[in-house]
Amino acid sequence: MSTRHREWPVVLGLAPVMLLTLAPFAWLIVSSLKTEAEIGQADPYAWPADLMWRNYQDAWQIGGFGELVGNSLLNLAGVVLLSLLTCAPAGYALAKIRFPGREWLFYTFILGLTIPVQAIVVPLYQVLFGLNLVNTLSGIVLAQVSSGIPFGIFLMRSFFISVPDELIEAAKIDGASHLQILTKVLLPISTPAIQALVIISALSTWNDFFLPLIVLISPEVQTLPLGLVRFASTYASEYRLVFSGTVISFLPVIILYILMQRRFTEGLTQGAIKG
Amino acid sequence: MINRETPGSSTAAPLGNRSALAKTATVEAGGSAAGRFDSRDTGSALWLMAPALVLYAIFSLLPIAATFWLSFNSSAGFNTASSFVGLDNYAATAADPIVWQSLWHTLLWLIYHVVLAGGLGLALALAISRLKVTQVFFRTAFFLPHLVSLAVVGVIWANIYDPFYGLINTALTELGLGAFTQGWLSDPALVLFSVNVASSWQGFGLYMLLFIAGLQNIDHTLYDAAEVDGASAWQKLVYVTLPGLREVTTFVVSLAMINGLKGFATVFVMTNGGPFYQSELITTYIYRLAFQSQDHGRAAVLCILLSLLAIVITLVFNRWRARLSK
Repeated sequence: MSTRHREWPVVLGLAPVMLLTLAPFAWLIVSSLKTEAEIGQADPYAWPADLMWRNYQDAWQIGGFGELVGNSLLNLAGVVLLSLLTCAPAGYALAKIRFPGREWLFYTFILGLTIPVQAIVVPLYQVLFGLNLVNTLSGIVLAQVSSGIPFGIFLMRSFFISVPDELIEAAKIDGASHLQILTKVLLPISTPAIQALVIISALSTWNDFFLPLIVLISPEVQTLPLGLVRFASTYASEYRLVFSGTVISFLPVIILYILMQRRFTEGLTQGAIKG
Repeated sequence: MINRETPGSSTAAPLGNRSALAKTATVEAGGSAAGRFDSRDTGSALWLMAPALVLYAIFSLLPIAATFWLSFNSSAGFNTASSFVGLDNYAATAADPIVWQSLWHTLLWLIYHVVLAGGLGLALALAISRLKVTQVFFRTAFFLPHLVSLAVVGVIWANIYDPFYGLINTALTELGLGAFTQGWLSDPALVLFSVNVASSWQGFGLYMLLFIAGLQNIDHTLYDAAEVDGASAWQKLVYVTLPGLREVTTFVVSLAMINGLKGFATVFVMTNGGPFYQSELITTYIYRLAFQSQDHGRAAVLCILLSLLAIVITLVFNRWRARLSK
């Protein structure tokens, strides 16, 4: 009863803060449906006379957003898949197998967890150039997977450590190899860790800007954030296009999040704490 | 979650928790003599590690090592001959006033981000965690900005700050507060703060989630005990809630500092370091030196400085957290 009593004052206090926080979204969405002349009136409280859905059509075509979204999806799929394929086995080996040099490897990955990718960008570009991977989606996928590997390995490792050893010993007695233990025993019970790794690597890939900026030079291979920045600077004076292009860039993820917010929240919190 | 006394918690404090790792090793060593390894186990482990290790060696370890090598060489661009120049790049970096400016801006940027994003995250978590019916609604709503790419955030806020058509100046004018309109991104004294507001708007949601998780971990019987003792709401906050959040707070502050250190996209998109280098960060200056001036030697020196800052922040906070968890 007392909690009911306390709920409404807090809600009343939070409501204006929430309006301020979400005002940028509301302003962009409303402005994106105005004509150029209405935007020129500079009245943020005015509603558009007619909803200009055409702005979205124009921005989509002129900005080539179809291609950008396609590239971003390929990029995301590649990174998520490769991250799982590399981090799950490595996390298992570090958690449950005794082998020489394990501790040494552990600290090597900590080094990568600590050093920001901006601090290795010059030689990273040279390596990609040497392997003919500059300006390719494969290049960006490999660079992003590698920079996410330390985090992914620690996430999987800390989950596998919490699995009782008896489970693994029992499988060993049944003659299972380490690969079988991983795929048949551990992965089926690792949904929380896999979910966290998928959500975090997908979101950070979809939103990455720094590595694509350096690796993806021609518009045909660029991803959504990079393409939007290029579009917004090319058409800087056509606000209706910039606004609708920006909404195209953020709205899908927000809708996806609202639909599955519990999984997102769990995954992100677990991932941040354990990684 | 954070407090768990399992060896797994060493990942939350990787550098500060060698003892936990040692504990795992001894537990798993069982009865066999230390230092002996099953050769079949070792073989499988290497195969399982191989995919991650190969990628990581080529695209992370090699570049880390090569950064040091580059810092002792001069080169006029990618794929041109370079020559050993000793400490010349270090001397040139130390003599460059923009380096010191960008370092100062980076430190200010960190502080703004910790205070704005961390502070808002904590305040909202304290308010939201008291809610029953509307908790999920507010948590979801306040988290929305975090889903937006920082580059897209840059485009959004460049328009919000637009002096003529932007949300802030037009909203102020319409409210009769025209005197408060500013050149948010053109005023040298204001620009770094303005851009940081955009980054912090994107960042606070994650810190809020972490604080909410931390609040849920506080032992509820402590509140009941405080209630029995007749503690006021304020006393409960100061003597139960805030001490209970100490560990998650050090974690959030270190995460916010590292995120701040990596700050790049919003500055690059909104001001490109300007006006007159007044919003230049170490990261944006690295990009300028490496990809615009083609001065890889000096860029590499700044890369090493950036790595050192990241390592120091991580070490200090892990040490601190390890002490708190004792």
